[in-house]
Amino acid sequence: MTKTPAVTLDHVSKWYGQVIGINDVSIAIDGGVTGILGMNGAGKSTLFKLLMGRIRPSKGSVRLFGTNPWDSTAPYRRIGYVSESERMYDWMTSIDFVSTLARLHGMTRSEAEFRAEQALSFVDLGDVLNKEIGKYSKGMRQRVKIAAALVHDPDLLILDEPLHGCDPLARTSIMNVIREMGSRGKTVLLSSHILEEIERITEQIVILHAGRLVALGNLHAIRAMLDKHPHRIMIHCEDARALASSFIDKQPVYGVRFLDNERLEIMTKDLSEAHSILPALILESGVPIHSIENPDDNLESLLGYLVGDSR
Amino acid sequence: MTESDDAATLGEARIEAAYGSGDGDDDTSATVARPMQGKIFEQIYRPWNGPLGPRWVRNYAIYRHHVYGIISSTGHRRYHPFVRLLLLVVILGSMTPILMLLLSTMVSDDATGFLNRMWGVNRYNLWGNVLGYFPRNLCMWPLLTALVVGGLVSDDRRNGTSAIYFSRPVSRLDYAAMKWLSAASVLAIVILLTYMMYYSAAVVFKGEGWSFIADTIPIFIGGLLAGIFLVFTYTSIGIALSSISTSRFTASISFLGYILGSKLVAWLIEIQFDTTYVYMVSPYDCLAHVGQWLVGLPYNYDHPLALSAISLAAMNAASLAVFASRVASLEVTRE
Repeated sequence: MTKTPAVTLDHVSKWYGQVIGINDVSIAIDGGVTGILGMNGAGKSTLFKLLMGRIRPSKGSVRLFGTNPWDSTAPYRRIGYVSESERMYDWMTSIDFVSTLARLHGMTRSEAEFRAEQALSFVDLGDVLNKEIGKYSKGMRQRVKIAAALVHDPDLLILDEPLHGCDPLARTSIMNVIREMGSRGKTVLLSSHILEEIERITEQIVILHAGRLVALGNLHAIRAMLDKHPHRIMIHCEDARALASSFIDKQPVYGVRFLDNERLEIMTKDLSEAHSILPALILESGVPIHSIENPDDNLESLLGYLVGDSR
Repeated sequence: MTESDDAATLGEARIEAAYGSGDGDDDTSATVARPMQGKIFEQIYRPWNGPLGPRWVRNYAIYRHHVYGIISSTGHRRYHPFVRLLLLVVILGSMTPILMLLLSTMVSDDATGFLNRMWGVNRYNLWGNVLGYFPRNLCMWPLLTALVVGGLVSDDRRNGTSAIYFSRPVSRLDYAAMKWLSAASVLAIVILLTYMMYYSAAVVFKGEGWSFIADTIPIFIGGLLAGIFLVFTYTSIGIALSSISTSRFTASISFLGYILGSKLVAWLIEIQFDTTYVYMVSPYDCLAHVGQWLVGLPYNYDHPLALSAISLAAMNAASLAVFASRVASLEVTRE
């Protein structure tokens, strides 16, 4: 007998009048951390609203653990959801807030308080759990939301832009939480429009663009599929021409461009191979280096390639 | 004059003092905090294997969150201190007949005397305890309802906090039912509980026996039913108005305007045209009319009782339909 995936979307489309939110998306996700990537307006929030039963698909079917979330609230017993916009009761302390929400999952008062304390400690708010939420920073508020989503030990965690507006410490804490949940076999979906954020948490990604699913799978595999496109490496050094002479005849470099006397752009079709030969060649040339950047290593570039491919 | 005096004259010194950095070229050193070593913090996840309660446990959590908030906002819904104070005043006000009953008992033993007629148990007093216009249905009950029910749904609509419920295994029916029930409970505690206390006090203070109870219990139950209708109707109308608004003030004022305004308009039309039919639009008068029938009092209205009963049913049905419709679209329309 096969296990029902935590999330199943079967040819799902959602239209808002003439505007398409999601266009014929089919995915099945179960276990591990999956990043939902897309620029603003790509359909990430629409996807999450469909999953949370806030909107009904215009076409196709959405299933959470095999159940339609629009028809039944039963799947929510196994789901923890962190909305980007969801408000909280600011006058409550975090322990009161999280235990109140735990009770909405059916816990008794003592169980709810016990679990709320555990969940808040897990997101590193154990020292301030008796402080009113209204006095918390953005990152702390985000962690309270995550604690509230984790309090009933869900099998599926849905996080809408969980790192948005968080300070580095909060980001580290939240990323640790997400990775930990994924390593425990929970299914975690998180959305972001920043590739670097997702890369630090997971390699399993879904890329949406203009409501369409443009890529699904391992991030590096997706990048590898794009190897017919050039990758660029930008080097800021003291003598661009001297450094270029070291590269120009080496595989996999197939072109160089001078942006000015100190900035050199190397074109390659195999980014990892290029990076592996780079240190030795730089040392050999003796040219002092200020910085090395990968301008294509971001969502915009990736999307540019993917959307270009699908045309 | 020194060099620094010249600088002060030019204003440069003041700028340097403000930023404390000079032109920034003379010193390239910086002072930084000494970095701490080791882990920033430890995160240990503890799984939960306990059972989660059934639907009624979840619903009770919503209910108590709202009702307990009247007493304590710690961990519950927050009611403004003014609302709590007013609730106390209304409760005390609705218990004044008990005090007067006690005083009348102490002053006079005459069962047919003025004081007993004024404060003792009879049809008029039982009806009046719930449906008397002044001060109860002019000042106390509508104000109580407006303050308790006004922000119940409108606050969620304004703040988006209804999403807290809908992200969890709480259906819209459960959400709506528990909101309604919690508001009705608060009203019932104030209106019906004090009514029952008044009747019980009469039995105790006057040392009445079973024959008195047997005589008056049908009237008491009639008044209790009228009170239940009142709580039901005021809650339904109040919560419907709260559900179509994003401001508790608007919802509360609308409720007061409807209850008191419809009564006023109907009264003006009655004195001008000598007809009571317009009282059918007044929730209070429909309740009063039905209440008079339940308690067995002569009617104050010329139009048939059935029309008031139908109007009352229609008001409740319309209010609940509006409430259900608005709850069904909560968060869905926030796309």
